[in-house]
Amino acid sequence: MGQIILGVGDYGASNRPGEDVKTFALGSCVSVILLDPKTRTVGMVHVALPESTINKAKSVEKPGYFADTGIPALLAKMAKFGCNPKGKGMVVKLCGGANVMDTNDTFQIGKRNALSIKKILWKYGMGAVAEDLGGNFSRTVTVSVESGEIILSSPGRPNWKL
Amino acid sequence: MTEKIDQEEIQKVIKSVPLLSASATQLLQTTTDPDHDLRGIVHIVKTDATLTARVLKVVNSAAFGLISEITSLDRAISYLGERLIIGIAIGDCAAQLFDKELVGYEGEHGDLWRHDLRTAIASREVAVQSDSDINPDLAFTAGLLHDIGKALISDYLHGTASEVLRKIESEEFSDYLSAEESLIGFDHPRAGYELALAWRLPTAIAEAIRFHHNPAGASPEFQELVYTVHLGDNIAMMGGCGTGADSMQYKLDPNYTQFFELKPNALANVMLTVNEEFDKLERSFSDTGESNR
Repeated sequence: MGQIILGVGDYGASNRPGEDVKTFALGSCVSVILLDPKTRTVGMVHVALPESTINKAKSVEKPGYFADTGIPALLAKMAKFGCNPKGKGMVVKLCGGANVMDTNDTFQIGKRNALSIKKILWKYGMGAVAEDLGGNFSRTVTVSVESGEIILSSPGRPNWKL
Repeated sequence: MTEKIDQEEIQKVIKSVPLLSASATQLLQTTTDPDHDLRGIVHIVKTDATLTARVLKVVNSAAFGLISEITSLDRAISYLGERLIIGIAIGDCAAQLFDKELVGYEGEHGDLWRHDLRTAIASREVAVQSDSDINPDLAFTAGLLHDIGKALISDYLHGTASEVLRKIESEEFSDYLSAEESLIGFDHPRAGYELALAWRLPTAIAEAIRFHHNPAGASPEFQELVYTVHLGDNIAMMGGCGTGADSMQYKLDPNYTQFFELKPNALANVMLTVNEEFDKLERSFSDTGESNR
């Protein structure tokens, strides 16, 4: 069975049944998962930071790094699979965005990532139907293209579904 | 029932660990001297044939993509910089510890090395991108060694991870550190500190190991360095690079602001640079084929 593994700032999509789309150890990063029931395509972007304004050059080289450039890049990728380029009809799920314990505002990157992603999705008229955000633990995410099932795992915890 | 560790037991564990090589010990001493220069580093590496060979292998590895091969040690060292030379020397000497699978934390093989390398890079970047006075190479070295104690106590924590996480969630334990102390009578910073004493590491590095989760407890003269490593450690964990179940289960002390400032944009830049540097360094260490990390 094939797997598409996404690193930090990567995005990808698949419509091949039997394949998984997977990303390892989301700490403060957030994984945006788009499921398109019409074309049976699964897309995912591993977002590390809320805004691309801090490094424009990087956002051109690797748009998936940032919430504001990552989501448009993922939608453009999924359009190649016949999905609606504006995300119409897609199901959105979010996970990740953890924070370290007792942190101050500066270090709340997980929270800021999630907020920024929701803002961008809102501009497209999209909203998450399910989310597993925050807390203080890292998450590995696996999405089955065939069933759209999302499995989360973290060391020391039993796996769970989103 | 988990077995407790006392002073005698930790000394027994430390005795089973190889000593640092003479050249690694000298390099660590040199890096804490504010007046040192690269010539001193070259001099130490030259006395160690194995280290010399490794340095040349790393600089000529695919990760650096050099067009022509570097054969002179002086050029290799000035190209790689002090922190990488120390990384190679310590990584090789303490490979037995860095490569240990942290079963007690349910970590995977290679997690400790990856977390320590990422913390080293992040600590260095914090020193560079904040207005701190800390020598970035010293921050790198202290970051590289900060969690070495986990390799010493991990086996004693076998089978405890799920219970610890449950008890942190129910606030029976305040964080992973207090869980270690309560379950086995020794936490990983203290275990690492005992090793630092046995290895005769410079005091600055020993203090960073001992207080990286409690920087306010360090001696005043080392607190700025310890806060730098404290942030580097947290940034590594936020980047998804921890050592298993304990990742992000520690408190961040926001009082680093008494020593330096790190604005949200600077932190975002630190995280970006850390990702890039980490990919490059991890490849350069593993490309050389002598390590399975």
